[in-house]
Amino acid sequence: MKYRVATIFTVLILNWGVAVGAQVPSGPRPQMTDASLAQGAAIYLRRCSFCHGLLGDGNGPAADFLDPRPRDFTLGTFKFRTTQSGELPRDEDLFRTVSRGLSGTAMQAFDSDLIKNGLSENERWAVIDYIKSFAVEFEDPELDPVKNDLVVTLPSERPAYSEALVAKGKEVFEHAKCWECHGKLGRGDGQKSFDRTDDWGFPIRIRNVTHPWKIKAGSEAEDIYMRFSTGINGTPMPSFVDALSEQERWALANFIKSLQHQPTGHQVLRALEIEGEISNDPREANWLAAEPMDVRLTGQVIAAPRWQNPSIELATVRALYNLEEIAFLIEWDDPFKDELHQSGIEFDPQEISRMGAFNSYVAANDVVPRQLETFRDAIALQFPVKLPEGTKKPHFFRGDSSNPVHLWQWRSDEAVRNAGQAVQESNARGWKQPAKAQSGEQQQVNAVASWNQGRWSVIMRRPLLTDDRNDIQFVKGRFIPLALNAWDGSNGEHGLIMSLSTWHSVILEAPVPIKIYLYTLLAVLASGALGLWLVRKERRRVAAMA
Amino acid sequence: MKKPLTLRFWTVVLTLVLIYALVKWGIPVLSREITGMPFPLTVPGTLMFIYMLLTIIALFLLVTFNEEHLAEFLYPIQRFLRGEYGRATRTLGLLIVPALIGWQVYDVTIPKVQQPSSLRIQHPSSNFPKKNEDLKNPFANPSDAEVDAFIEQAQANEVGFIPQLRADLDNWAEYTEPDHMLEAIPTAPMRAFLGELAGGSVNPDSARAALMEKHLFEGRALYSMNCRPCHGDSVAGDGPMADGFKLRPINFTDNGTIETIVEGYTFWRVSNGGPGLPTEATPWDSAMPVWKLNLSEEERWKIILAEYDLAQKTPRIPESH
Repeated sequence: MKYRVATIFTVLILNWGVAVGAQVPSGPRPQMTDASLAQGAAIYLRRCSFCHGLLGDGNGPAADFLDPRPRDFTLGTFKFRTTQSGELPRDEDLFRTVSRGLSGTAMQAFDSDLIKNGLSENERWAVIDYIKSFAVEFEDPELDPVKNDLVVTLPSERPAYSEALVAKGKEVFEHAKCWECHGKLGRGDGQKSFDRTDDWGFPIRIRNVTHPWKIKAGSEAEDIYMRFSTGINGTPMPSFVDALSEQERWALANFIKSLQHQPTGHQVLRALEIEGEISNDPREANWLAAEPMDVRLTGQVIAAPRWQNPSIELATVRALYNLEEIAFLIEWDDPFKDELHQSGIEFDPQEISRMGAFNSYVAANDVVPRQLETFRDAIALQFPVKLPEGTKKPHFFRGDSSNPVHLWQWRSDEAVRNAGQAVQESNARGWKQPAKAQSGEQQQVNAVASWNQGRWSVIMRRPLLTDDRNDIQFVKGRFIPLALNAWDGSNGEHGLIMSLSTWHSVILEAPVPIKIYLYTLLAVLASGALGLWLVRKERRRVAAMA
Repeated sequence: MKKPLTLRFWTVVLTLVLIYALVKWGIPVLSREITGMPFPLTVPGTLMFIYMLLTIIALFLLVTFNEEHLAEFLYPIQRFLRGEYGRATRTLGLLIVPALIGWQVYDVTIPKVQQPSSLRIQHPSSNFPKKNEDLKNPFANPSDAEVDAFIEQAQANEVGFIPQLRADLDNWAEYTEPDHMLEAIPTAPMRAFLGELAGGSVNPDSARAALMEKHLFEGRALYSMNCRPCHGDSVAGDGPMADGFKLRPINFTDNGTIETIVEGYTFWRVSNGGPGLPTEATPWDSAMPVWKLNLSEEERWKIILAEYDLAQKTPRIPESH
């Protein structure tokens, strides 16, 4: 047993070491040979070509669905490097990207220590040599960043994360005007329009630096430091290597780190019972006291038109209730406030079958307009119509024919036009038919919404109980399934092109039933009495023996 | 040496404690080592109850095996009840035991705020059509006629590819001006086949291997286009969309997933998706699409071929009836 436990600990420690060490090669890179290049070509075909294309031009068959688009290797422009702005990457930079992937994108880790069918170090080097053969720039010794001393390194002194360091970093953030693009709170909301494109002609999306899982080349302070010390080639992200000192940049990296959101882990939303009115102000004390639940959303990839470039991947939900009503506060980041909706240019899902030989996914840049003033922002809460018996629920994607769902969809354009009609209550029985709006007098959900510094806050409220049999009824002490659908209009999202979550639950906690205390008391008394009875019995037995 | 009279009592207590600890903490720790997953598999409460009940029954049998055993077991209890270990110890014992029992009752009956868990069967077969059991992947073992046809097409340099690949292949051909379109697949078996083709004498075995390479090439492309967002490049269920689903996409590299099922089952699951699952497999939590709506049978089979290849697994062989 002791041995077993020791083995387990060793395995854990080794695994941890591997995960941390995965980005750095363990030894010198092997010499390139004809055989290794042929091996690289075969690996490239098998693992890379379907996104990056047979020619390395980033035009493989899966490329159209992706944003960010797969890298075009023929230009020699690489975003994530440890070399000065505009320069070629070091081999180790490519090794690192291939090994650990780019977080939040289709580029995944290929390190055989991280995934079971990954590539060994030699295989990774072989494929890197093959990738480098696509760009002539790599053949020019004058462009070699290592020989020309263009490598950027981490500062030798890196003070540990502290409040003082973060405060200093905040000053740098303000002084260097990072907020002009990234927004005062780092939510990527500084940009006013979509007029900028990158070197490949695709619209620039400013990173929301508060979502660590979306920081492509790593979310640690060391990674962040490298991004603004090297710039991101091909994009407007500059290098601050001349403008800021090493220590200023290190402080800035720690400030950015401090902005990162730490998601909550639970799947059950506890609605907080309050006395009196539920406030319309999300900063009111009761709302702040309510326990938040983070909900992860992902692209709707279940039915055509499938969408793998969702903008909204996180929403935070809180709930309050009183004797009459329940209210949900939903908050999510969205850098643009989209309040127009051109229903005339909505995408017709029926057309999906006519789009090319096969496209059940929506192309990232061509099929839907991803620009301002096209579609509205919206969010929907989804509940089952009937409280589930046992574990059985409607399907999380709009229910199914025998298990309908109840949707509360808040729409930004309606909120502008007529706040009273901002929410539409509807019912759906699966995704094949559009959700059916409830009739006028059955629309009982009211909402208030605000958008501030790249974040929407929407409060939706409704009486706990209604007369409508197509409505969810909020009964105390029951786990009520809850899921979200979300749309970012300027990301082209509308209809089924959206992000969605799976089922979570909300519970209105009932007071502890009195019978539980009764059972406990009874158990204590009975077992106590039994003890005393045994003592007496033993005494009698001894007496009888004597 | 004489056995201490309290031995049997403490053996019983120690056995109970040990078995409880083993089920409660030992199994989860071991499960991590066996599955290689980053989280432990805990033993469900009902199973724990059964284990403990069995242990108690076994211990009861042991203790009541004969008069002597029973007397030995009861000896320290009777001494305790008589207060021979001290009156204070007896009072304390008579208070602590009911308090512990009361705490257990409270803990079991109090409603807890946690997601009601649902047990799930991963490979349900209750609605699996038996006729699918023997389905064979038509691309895994091409017939001699198919191989011959492929050789003929290759000789004429007229090998057809799936339309999804055409744009990239045309682009490649225009730029590299290859002698043969199959050079787009620079793997060893394909190069051997192209060498034989140029030399004029083709071995059917190399042609078969080359045809397999072509099918895998197409299957991987279809996988990248359709399945990769959830199941990942790694086929480990860790694609960029995976984090949003409570029921994680299946990790094909795991032992005990696609290796334990027949190809016909894989085909049936890919075709019917989450909504095709029976109740015991919680279809309402599954994000698996109904692929028969968007992919042809050939496309589905090619994807399955590539999926097993990428995961370095082989399907289970159907049992002969």
